[in-house]
Amino acid sequence: VDVQALEREAQSAIAGASTTVALDDARVRYLGRKSELKQALRAVRDRETGMALNALRERLEAAVAARAAELERAELDRMLAEEFVDVTLPGEAQRRGHLHLITQIRREIEDVFLGLGYEVVDGNEVEDTWHLFDALNMPPEHVTRSPLHTLFLDGDVVLRTETSPSQIRVMESRPPPVYMVSLGRTYRRDTTDATHSPIFHQVEGLAVDRGITLADLKGTLLHLARALFGEDRDVRFTTDFFPFTEPSVGAAVSCFVCEGEGCRTCKFTGWIEMGGSGMVDPNVFVNVGYDPETASGFAFGLGLERIAMLRHGVPDIRLFWENDLRFLRQF
Amino acid sequence: MRIPLSWLREYVPVSVPTAELAERLTVSTCEVERVSRIGVPDVNGNLGLYRVGRVVDAAKHPNADRLQLCRVDVGEPEPREIVCGAWNFGAGATVPVALPGAILPDGRTLERARLRGTVSDGMILSERELELGLDHTGILVLPDPWEPGTPLADVFPLAEEVLEVETTPNRPDLLSVYGIAREVAALFGLELAPPPGRNPERVGDETPSLEIRDFDGCPRYVGRVFRDVRVAASPPWLKARLVAAGMRPISNVVDVTNYVMVALGNPLHAFDADTLRGGIVVRRADPGEELTTLDGVLRRLDPADLVIADHERGVAFAGVMGGLETEVRAESTTILLEAANFEPVGILRTSERHGLRTEGSNRWEKGVDPHLAPQAAALATELLVSLVGARWTGEAEVAGELPERPVIRLREDRVGVVTGLDVGRDEQDEILVGIGFALDAEGDVITPTWRARDVTREIDLVEEVIRIHGLDKVPSTLPLRRAMFGRVKNDQRLRRLVEDLLVGLGFAEAYTSSLVRDDPHPQALRLPDPLSAEQAVLRTTLVHGLLGAVRRNVDAGNEEVALFEIARVYLPTGETFPEEPRRVGAITHGGFTRAKGAVEVLHAALHLNARFERAANDLAHPGKSARLAGGWVAELHPALMPGGWGAFELDLDELFARVPERRVYEDVITYPAVHQDLAFVVDEDVLAGDLADAARAAAPPPPRPSFVRPASSTSIAAARSRPAASPSRFASRSSRRNERSPTRTRGPSGMGLWRRLLSASAPSSAPKPAISDPKLPIRGVARPRTGYLGSNLSHAEEDPQ
Repeated sequence: VDVQALEREAQSAIAGASTTVALDDARVRYLGRKSELKQALRAVRDRETGMALNALRERLEAAVAARAAELERAELDRMLAEEFVDVTLPGEAQRRGHLHLITQIRREIEDVFLGLGYEVVDGNEVEDTWHLFDALNMPPEHVTRSPLHTLFLDGDVVLRTETSPSQIRVMESRPPPVYMVSLGRTYRRDTTDATHSPIFHQVEGLAVDRGITLADLKGTLLHLARALFGEDRDVRFTTDFFPFTEPSVGAAVSCFVCEGEGCRTCKFTGWIEMGGSGMVDPNVFVNVGYDPETASGFAFGLGLERIAMLRHGVPDIRLFWENDLRFLRQF
Repeated sequence: MRIPLSWLREYVPVSVPTAELAERLTVSTCEVERVSRIGVPDVNGNLGLYRVGRVVDAAKHPNADRLQLCRVDVGEPEPREIVCGAWNFGAGATVPVALPGAILPDGRTLERARLRGTVSDGMILSERELELGLDHTGILVLPDPWEPGTPLADVFPLAEEVLEVETTPNRPDLLSVYGIAREVAALFGLELAPPPGRNPERVGDETPSLEIRDFDGCPRYVGRVFRDVRVAASPPWLKARLVAAGMRPISNVVDVTNYVMVALGNPLHAFDADTLRGGIVVRRADPGEELTTLDGVLRRLDPADLVIADHERGVAFAGVMGGLETEVRAESTTILLEAANFEPVGILRTSERHGLRTEGSNRWEKGVDPHLAPQAAALATELLVSLVGARWTGEAEVAGELPERPVIRLREDRVGVVTGLDVGRDEQDEILVGIGFALDAEGDVITPTWRARDVTREIDLVEEVIRIHGLDKVPSTLPLRRAMFGRVKNDQRLRRLVEDLLVGLGFAEAYTSSLVRDDPHPQALRLPDPLSAEQAVLRTTLVHGLLGAVRRNVDAGNEEVALFEIARVYLPTGETFPEEPRRVGAITHGGFTRAKGAVEVLHAALHLNARFERAANDLAHPGKSARLAGGWVAELHPALMPGGWGAFELDLDELFARVPERRVYEDVITYPAVHQDLAFVVDEDVLAGDLADAARAAAPPPPRPSFVRPASSTSIAAARSRPAASPSRFASRSSRRNERSPTRTRGPSGMGLWRRLLSASAPSSAPKPAISDPKLPIRGVARPRTGYLGSNLSHAEEDPQ
């Protein structure tokens, strides 16, 4: 047998097979039982010829396998090319729910303060006047204590107007340091309109330790403002007054709409009010049994609805309470 | 409070741009809410087009009955012809004139106009057209004979910028132009003029009778008598200032009292002295006493109300509002001027009690400096004599003990300790002296009388120093921590898990009111004085709020409505405080099964088992209502909400308390699971849960994991609807047993187990012989079917196969 001629012929037939059927034909013809090669192998008598023929068989088998793989792959490609989907069609519908926007803001703020190592406290909403007013250094004649501003259940039981009673309770329960934020529902006798709701949500923070300063308050609020409104934000303090803090300061964030150029959101001042804050008044420390000479601290309060309205351009606070899915599903 | 800048500049020569002034005040003193501009626009020499004019002659317009044709000298070689619609002046009158091209306060540009055949070469102006006042009945005739052509801006401020400031309740001293001027002087290092008001010479020796019976309520009362008073309109500059400050000009006498209040912050009152019967008595109201106030309202006084009375009756609500009978009228000629001081809390209470808030009460209730009254009296006297032409003929003063000025030690390092920003002693002193504080020989700080209520402690001085030094200079730092307690607590983590899970199941979160109209709990806490009947009761369940939200969504045409809420409810305890457990409530389309499915997934996520049992619920469909530990799940009664709405409400605190602290590993590797479906025919009232319980009871004891789970409600319902499979009184119950068998049996398996199961499956309370006796032919077939489920086996089956 002319090994070389046979190989040339077989290799070209294998390489030339363009379908699996043609390849199988070629395999039968050159490697089948009746093939010239197999017959030659059966007839072989000397070792050298046997080795050459077996080597040829192996080469041809490998060539067939390789060609088969090629053809299979081409076949699959052809088939897949026909399984066409319009990828611009919508997928299988799966309804997801939505967290209320206020919950989303609440979580963001919780996370900021958890990151700073603060406790998150959600206290009771029905409070007594000691924890809501007296302990917070609000004298009996303070306007908030009037039934015109606060919802009373009876003479000294009230719906909390802010979450700070939780802070008083924590301070009463243990010595400094205290680092906490309280979040939850608060109540005021406000007539409902686009920016007022008798029920709203507050976050109030309190840090009491040795050597806490007004600068620490500013840095903390700056950290919060940047988390909520973007890394380029700045915080400004303005003088203010609250019975439970001294000095008291209003905190404003640089406008994220106009970058300080002046727009309707910031009322053309470049600054947006965040909320009230200040250094805890020494009288508050005395009321909870802390020594005002060694303990110092800051406190702040923000409205969650206000943050949501500012950041997302929600025009009317009532939208938060209407629960229209067309609103809820936007966030 | 509105602060006209021209008025402010009378006390302090501030010249920085208004925006900068507003900014500094906002940071250090009080918020400047906006700067408003009133009057003639001050642009491109516009003010120069406003002149003093003298009417040379005036006569009826030849072609119009209601117009006057005037010739007006405005300082030019020839008088101008001007057509005017007003008739309250004639030849010789000095009037304000705008020339053609002038931009008017309302923004229009004045054109040379042809009116009824005559060209009008300018405009004679009324108060209102100049935004000086509200009067538009005639043009503004100037009382003094100014030279024609004089710029009108020299006569009174034509253009005015007004700072609208919002002051804090601790700073009544800022409710005055002079008070703001004092701060401005300190902030910009400018010289402050002495307080306005110099007593002119008194021209009489009358001593009005004054008596204070309640020095707590009225520590001081200065009364002055004026005669030959001619009540008239105030001069334009005074009106202009009052209007700019937001006050309505009334008459010269009343305007003077208001002017002094705005200038210095001490409210005054003027009585028509001829209507007073005897002298002034300051006392508490008598029981049943009545008083008609200036607004014409007859008010019944409370014995706690402080009144100014004469010897017969009350004549004014002290500090709040004067009485109608003794008010100054056009014909009044003698007045008694009251410059007093009233204690704040009493005024606040009276004002609240009677729903009467005035410019006066707003200042008194914050605490006006008792040392201010003589200064206010001096300024009023000066103005009454110079503007009203009155003669000051008498005076009396009664005063109780006035409070001492606080003396405070300010440790030098204290500002730095509190604020994180060091301010040196010299600068501290300079700042404090700049805003009226004094230093005594020992270096201690003495509070000025107008701040004596507010600044009494070292910390108060720290605030004064830092606000003037500049809150903007305070650096940003974070607390240095030595101890840390904060972390996500378990209930916060679990709450988020519940929220996220429900969101994943397609529920949207709702926020509904904690205050409701009605609540099913008979003892639910009720507000004695609610905002409205809709917000009167503290709710004990979330479902009603959610129901309202669902209805609103259905009405709005929203589809696939599923809402949940996590909030507190308020359970009456009989004690002072209610319990306030946190609940999760939800309402969803898809009826009972969808609601229950959500409850089950929620339990699974918390690694809790839920056991449901039938329980009636007023809100629920009577046949689709269940109770479980911590709450309920039901389909809402169709009368309440038609359309098959599933609902549940669970107590989160109770759920969370049961969540296992740590999960312990269960073997997952040894054997594949065996899976068997069984169907039983049982009495209609046998519950699937009881059957499953029986199966569990029959199963070998733990730790062998063996899940017995009734097939879904829908398949049971389907079975019920197939009469062939559920003959007459029987319904089929199908159970799936996920059995972990090590034996990989292919044949019928576990028959012994199932026999025990069936014998145990009868509720013990009501034995069902048909089932409990394993020897009886069971109606229906237990169809053990085994197969390989992907899961795994761990424990040996007791029963031999």
